[in-house]
Order: sequence, then C-alpha cells, then structure tokens
Amino acid sequence: MAAYPGQGFPGAGQAPAGPYPYGPPGGGAAPGGGAPPGVDPEAFSWFQAVDADRSGSISAKELKQALVNSNWSTFNDETCLLMINMFDKTRSGRMDVYGFSALLRFIQQWKSLFQQYDRDQSGSISCSELQQAFSQMGYNLSPQFSQLLLARYAQRSCNPGIQLDRFIQICMQLQSTTDAFREKDTGLVGNVRLSYEDFLTMVVTRMM
Amino acid sequence: YGGAPGGPAFPGQAQDPLYGYFAAVAGQDGQIDADELQRCLTQSGIAGAYKPFNLETCRLMISMLDRDMSGTLGFNEFKELWAVVNGWKQHFVSFDNDRSGTVDRQELEKALMNMGFRLSPQAVTAITRRYSTRGKITFDDYIACCVKLRALTECFRRRDTSQQGFVNFQYDDFIQCVMSV
Repeated sequence: MAAYPGQGFPGAGQAPAGPYPYGPPGGGAAPGGGAPPGVDPEAFSWFQAVDADRSGSISAKELKQALVNSNWSTFNDETCLLMINMFDKTRSGRMDVYGFSALLRFIQQWKSLFQQYDRDQSGSISCSELQQAFSQMGYNLSPQFSQLLLARYAQRSCNPGIQLDRFIQICMQLQSTTDAFREKDTGLVGNVRLSYEDFLTMVVTRMM
Repeated sequence: YGGAPGGPAFPGQAQDPLYGYFAAVAGQDGQIDADELQRCLTQSGIAGAYKPFNLETCRLMISMLDRDMSGTLGFNEFKELWAVVNGWKQHFVSFDNDRSGTVDRQELEKALMNMGFRLSPQAVTAITRRYSTRGKITFDDYIACCVKLRALTECFRRRDTSQQGFVNFQYDDFIQCVMSV
C-alpha cells in the first residue's frame, strides 16, 4: 500500500502562535490597538502598514513588499500568488487582515522547517540540503531533480541556494502534485495509467 | 558586435543577427540566465508591438530548452528558442484580429487547437482561468502557456514508449516529470 509523503506539512488551517520572523516594514511600530478578534496585534499593525490605501485588503503586489527572504530579496511573484490563493477566502485575488494573520503563522512554521533543513545555517538551502530535506519528508526524488530546482531557482553564485520563498513554493507544489496523483490512485498502489488528455487536464487544473 | 570577449565561437556566428543580441548580454561563459534573456528578448523586439516578457516567463523558456540543466542557455539553445517563440507569435498575431495585444477564451482555444493540442473543455477552462486577466490573455501569458503545454507534452511523449497515448506513471516519476516542466 503506497504511503504518500508530505502529510505533516504546515497547512492553511493550523495555527500555533509564535514570534514573527520579520519585523513590520518601517522597523516595528507599536502594536496596533483595535485589532479585530482573533488577529494578533502585531499582524494587525503590520497589515495596516502594508495596506497603504486603507482599502481593507492587499494585493499580491502589496504582499510582495511585505515579505522578505534572509537575503533581503522580496518574495517572488509566484509564491505571493500561491499565498493569496491559499488565504483569500473571498476569491477576490486580495487578502484581508484575517488571511494575512493566518499567513504569517503559516510562514513562521515554514521558516522553522527551513531552518531545520538549512543545516549549515547559511540562510539558504543548498543542493545537498534539499536532497536531505526531500528524503526526510518521505519523498524518493533523484539528485538530478534537486539540481534542476537549484539551477532554476537559486541565484547564480559559487554557493547557490534556495531562499525561503522558493522553498515554500516547491513544497506546496510537491503537495499539490501528490494530491493530484493520489486522487487517481484509488487503489493506493503508487502507480496510475493516464491518457495524454487526462494527464494534461490533471496538471493544468491543479498546477498551472 | 562588441559584446562577447574573445569573439564568436564558430565561423558564421558573427554574421547571424541574433548573435548580436545574445552577445550583448551574455557573460564570460557564453550563457544567459533568465534576467539576461529578458533583456535580450526585449532589445531584440521579438515581441513586436506587444509588451515583452516577464521574468517568470523567461525562466519557463529556459527550462524548456535547458538540456544540461544549468539554468542558462547557450547561443544554439537561444536560436532554437527564438524560432519556437516566433512561430507561436505568428499564431497569436493571426488570432489577435483587433490588434489589442490580447486574445479571449475562444481565440485561445482555436489557437491551441491549431497548434495541435487536443484539450478537454475542462483543461481549456483551467488554462484560461490561470492565464487570463479579466477574460483576456496577453501575449506574454500566451507564450508562458505554450511553453508549459509543450514541455508537458514532451514529458508525456517520452514516456509513451508504445505510442499508444497512455503512460503508466510511478509516483516518484510523476512528481519529477510534472515539476521539471
């Protein structure tokens, strides 16, 4: 019986509270009074700083400015879009303060995982660290695959590594690819027979 | 073409007009990454009257042809990319009747069918949803879509050894196949 990895990944629903990884832009305003129920005051003041026009919701573009990697690059567009889709209950393409608050908790959980796999604490995940991470998560993926991801997503340098935003994106993609496969593998044998049409439809509806 | 240190790598390359654009952005290693490709394509004017490519699309284009998995393209790969993109552009232009720089869902469906992709209505809906802004698909998004579809098709075809239109996917292989695209 096939067992599918990635079940324990941080998800949109889980919520241990915790310290936030990145200070609010502008270097830490005083916690906002009047945070809505269920919203952490720090998340609230951060949200207000990002929602410059006070519309009550933020776009992927605004979100991008709020989230930074350890090398100070802003989160890439794809990951921001992924996050809006995950945390936008209104399906408007924008995120409200509740979604934002949940997102910050989500990122914190991912950051902990990231730091766990960044064994040399370099701030980025190298090819071998990524290999290890996949293996520990329960995936059985080739070294070439990790190399490909590094080649695609790491900055060109003598020590290329994956930043937090790409790491989140990769893990989310692994999860949705697994979900798509599992849906077809009703017998849980780890194997599915797909027609070209089915294959395209599967990938396109879930992952493009 | 003053860009490339040491001059062109083989005879005739200097005469190739594409080489000028390539050499202007390529570094010492004669390879271009996504940023450089973006600059190169913009300067070459391949997008014509259309707005040229965003970085994610350039990244996708590289992965389509990046056979040595270096994350970069050499000049020959770049030439191949140019030819492919030009072909897709011709299709887009032929469908963009009102020269708006965008096509709508029906036009996209027709264009994809003309390119030989047999897609279920479900798949077309998913594609248009993913790539359209307010019901319209821009040239850049169209190219990104073509790249993905082409890469997925290659991925499938390589595994369809008996050419029956069916593939038995193992889980690990499926993941790598889909995520490499």
